[in-house]
Amino acid sequence: MHRTITHRYFYPHPAETVWEYLTRPELIAQWLMENDFQPVAGHEFTFRTRPLPNFEFDGTVYCKVLDIVPLQRLVYSWKGGPGKGKINLDSVVTWTLRSVDNGTELLLEHSGLMENADIFAAMNTGWLKNITTIDQLLQTPDHGNTNR
Amino acid sequence: METPTVDAFQVIADPSRRRMLDLLSHDTLTINALAQHFNISRPAVSKHVRILESGGFISIHDIGRERHCVLKKDGFDQIRDWASHFDRFWSTKLRRLENLLRNQTR
Repeated sequence: MHRTITHRYFYPHPAETVWEYLTRPELIAQWLMENDFQPVAGHEFTFRTRPLPNFEFDGTVYCKVLDIVPLQRLVYSWKGGPGKGKINLDSVVTWTLRSVDNGTELLLEHSGLMENADIFAAMNTGWLKNITTIDQLLQTPDHGNTNR
Repeated sequence: METPTVDAFQVIADPSRRRMLDLLSHDTLTINALAQHFNISRPAVSKHVRILESGGFISIHDIGRERHCVLKKDGFDQIRDWASHFDRFWSTKLRRLENLLRNQTR
């Protein structure tokens, strides 16, 4: 189970070009979502897409620019929920750019998705173990088919 | 009024229910044994147990006079589906970015 989703991509383009696609609203919209992003720390903006009722998501991602270092790093919060101001997803997206020989390496980290990940690690083994336990319980004579 | 089905994320949003799942990940417990770990009323414990059950996180087995709570996979699968949704989301978007960059006129 992942606490952070990580994607690393190489683009055969200079960091300046990749950066533009990460920070200019009309360019972001072409590959990510409609937005009112501004490359200013503290700026609050939204991404708008179609709702996903199964995931309790109303189609709006509420964001705030947390950190911005031109051509190197961009961090924004990423919050969403079922609507009416209720937030059940409180995560952070971090973009890191690195110039390499013939292009740019782009690292995406989406963290805070699985706040309760710890207990889920235990679950995978836990629920299997318990199924065994219940089998044993069911097989003990006390709980057998005693017809009285 | 009881809600028939509960969203997996609502289920785990509550600290008491997370603690219950944690306890149950170590061992199967009866509702009575589970209740002993909490300073909340017995009806409140029962309510949490019902929510865990309807969210697919546990099943309840009547054995003798006792009701045993056992972890169930369904609820956890829902959480995993959700994480993989985001994984696919970003893969798709980053590929789109790649195509855009490739096709851009300079």
